[in-house]
Amino acid sequence: MKMPALEVTQLTKHYQGGSGRVTALEAVSFTLEGGRLLGVLGPSGSGKTTLLSIIAGLLRPSSGEVKLGGSAVHLRSAREAAAFRRGHVGLVFQDHHLVPYLSALDNLLLVPHLRGHVGDADRQHASRLLAEFGLEQRAHHKPAELSGGERQRVAIARALMNSPEIMLVDEPTSNLDTERGQQVLELLRDQVHRRGTTCVMVTHDPRMAAQADQTLRLVDGRVATNSAAS
Amino acid sequence: MLAVKELLGSKLKFGLIALAIGLVVSLTMLMSAMSEGLVTGMTGAKRSLDADALVFQGDTALSLERSMLTDEDLAVISSADGVAEAYAVGHLIVTIRGPQGSFDAHVFGLGDAFDQLPITEGERRSPAAGEAIVDATAATEGIGVGDSLSLTPLPGELRVTAFTEGRRYIMAPAVYVRLDTWRSLRAASLLAPSAIDGGDTGPTRGGDPVDGRPTTATQALAGSASIMAVRLAPGVTPSDLSATLSPAFEVATPEEASLAGNGMNVMVLAVNGIQLVSLLIGAMVIGVFFYITTLHKSGQIAAVKALGASNYYVYRQLLVQITILVTLAAIIGVVLALGAGSGMPPAMAFDPDPARWVLSLLAVYATAYVGSLFSLRSILLVDPATALDRAEH
Repeated sequence: MKMPALEVTQLTKHYQGGSGRVTALEAVSFTLEGGRLLGVLGPSGSGKTTLLSIIAGLLRPSSGEVKLGGSAVHLRSAREAAAFRRGHVGLVFQDHHLVPYLSALDNLLLVPHLRGHVGDADRQHASRLLAEFGLEQRAHHKPAELSGGERQRVAIARALMNSPEIMLVDEPTSNLDTERGQQVLELLRDQVHRRGTTCVMVTHDPRMAAQADQTLRLVDGRVATNSAAS
Repeated sequence: MLAVKELLGSKLKFGLIALAIGLVVSLTMLMSAMSEGLVTGMTGAKRSLDADALVFQGDTALSLERSMLTDEDLAVISSADGVAEAYAVGHLIVTIRGPQGSFDAHVFGLGDAFDQLPITEGERRSPAAGEAIVDATAATEGIGVGDSLSLTPLPGELRVTAFTEGRRYIMAPAVYVRLDTWRSLRAASLLAPSAIDGGDTGPTRGGDPVDGRPTTATQALAGSASIMAVRLAPGVTPSDLSATLSPAFEVATPEEASLAGNGMNVMVLAVNGIQLVSLLIGAMVIGVFFYITTLHKSGQIAAVKALGASNYYVYRQLLVQITILVTLAAIIGVVLALGAGSGMPPAMAFDPDPARWVLSLLAVYATAYVGSLFSLRSILLVDPATALDRAEH
């Protein structure tokens, strides 16, 4: 059996809310093989984004384990987690979070810049990605000059700049109409399969989740269904 | 990269911030130049005396107006251990009748020490009896080189041979004359003009130049000089000289002496306080600007941190922006301050001192960096996890 790229075991996360302790995730366990797209589905408040944040090392779990390529993510310090994200994780935010005063090209180059150096190879890689995403004519446009779909494509291209081991994608189609949302999803799926990148995509849309290689349905912080188990 | 591109991407916003900080910088510069001008105007003639120490009559609290030394005192000081050279300095307040009306002036009698005066216009030589070198601010009263000054109520006139600069005292121009000329004027000021005219003060007959030959009687009344300026032998300090001389004398450096009397201590404290307050306000303005800017883009900071940027990286971008903006602001501020200074009337206390301006600018940089600590706190508090949707937390 192929070794899973991502292993989540008995993951639990509690928050201290105004009305006492809130359980965002409880005993969540699943595995994901490398080069596959996992769709995490669930209603608002089901713990989808908390799960994504813990896998990214942005939050620490209350208990449980997250292993990426066999390495424990949940044990990393904030500094180690930041360094890991710079080198190995591709993040796509719901609101794209492109830097508004940077062009599409510079938004991609931000990733190697955060690693400390932007070389010619990085520039060529960024230009190639923009071309692959049909954005070569928009390379020097700022986010405000791009359409919603273009912005989300730039965000996905940025997430691929560091050739990540895993892509973590948060509601990539929520701000797009159905047609553009479908285009973005197909682009994402195509990139994941062609590059062999493991991807976790959070969505509230069952039609989008259904197009993933594997789906995980969360309800009230627990795994309701896991397509890999069925 | 981020810092500069953000500045270039929001030229109007950051231009306005630079302008606002520039106004604060210009305020600091103006305060510095005006306070320096005030101090120079109040004490320039006293502070700039070329000497290691000034010796005053005892118990006069280093007051030029109250100190009076006799010939015997001058001899004691000149021959004291540690004194390399010495010259007498006389001081007298007079009123001059100029073309635009009467104005106060301070006559300084110098014993052969005129080389210390920077000449800005006129003849570069020591004045003869009845001649004077005058601070250039007298020009604002319509006085020019070659004019004769009528001193009221004293009889006699002084011919202006040259202008000097930075020599005012209690905001009035200094008039430098030979010591014997000063003695005649001093004697005449102590006696009624009628007595002078009809008495034994031949040199001060009405309308004639003062030739500097006071009688024994008037000299005894007037004293030989107000203070003595001394150059000390190597290794000797004013304190050493003070210990050598009897308590009948007070010794101070020109700088210390300039701060004594006329409320100078209080005034200097006040202007320093005003400068400090303007710097503190500047720091707060700069700090608040960047704090608001940082708060405004906390979502963007969260996203960049989520992508892997460290707090140090984000703060470094802020420091780069602060350095660029404060440098722009410094240029704007200096230009504005110089512009405002050039528009001020010559008699106004405005004396930009490059050293103090550099210090003020360094203080603005320092306060800007200190102000940025507010922003650092908010940067540290930005949770990168907020870049992802936290709605369900």
